[in-house]
Amino acid sequence: MTPSKALRDDGRSRPGAEDRPPPVAKPLLFVAWLVPGLGHWLLGKRLRALVFAAVILAAFTTGILLDGELAVPQQNSPLTWFFTFGCLGNGALYLIRLLWANGIDGLFSSAFPYGLSGGGDPVAAGFFYGKAFLYTSGLMNLLVVLDVHDIARGDKS
Amino acid sequence: MDHFLLLVWHALLVATFFAFLWRSDPHGRKVMFVKSFLILVLGAVVVGWLMFPFP
Repeated sequence: MTPSKALRDDGRSRPGAEDRPPPVAKPLLFVAWLVPGLGHWLLGKRLRALVFAAVILAAFTTGILLDGELAVPQQNSPLTWFFTFGCLGNGALYLIRLLWANGIDGLFSSAFPYGLSGGGDPVAAGFFYGKAFLYTSGLMNLLVVLDVHDIARGDKS
Repeated sequence: MDHFLLLVWHALLVATFFAFLWRSDPHGRKVMFVKSFLILVLGAVVVGWLMFPFP
């Protein structure tokens, strides 16, 4: 226990201060979200980083190749925000795909964030399978971010 | 498009992911991968069969 952490400015002890883990750097969590696997790579977990990056990229690519659609918010449909949050887990992959599907003008239209296209082809045979892959890759990357948080805090090796 | 192949591919990716997320030793990862892969594939087939009577 270091006195500087356990004592307040007035010299009195701060309850539980010595038990509190150090805060995790937010930029680390941001890059972990933005580029799948980069958070683990920066923490020195190279094998895990490569596997997570490969798996998430493979799932995302499969979803795109199957003409799956990424979730985007829709007006008067609050649940779409939950789906969007799940898909946003893909990080840069999600943003690039939205840019690809909408173009710069479409992405920053006046109706933003409504009116965006999530890409995909609803009449394609693999449409719903593609969506499943895209949602799965997003949720997996969100779990990766939580894992980076735990490792950085020292809760996990 | 082979639906079963897609199911197996999805299970392969998810099982690999959780094996590396939840286990840190090579043996534990192998066991976790095999277990979750089989549960995902066989579970989907069993649930698919059980859904036959439903319209």
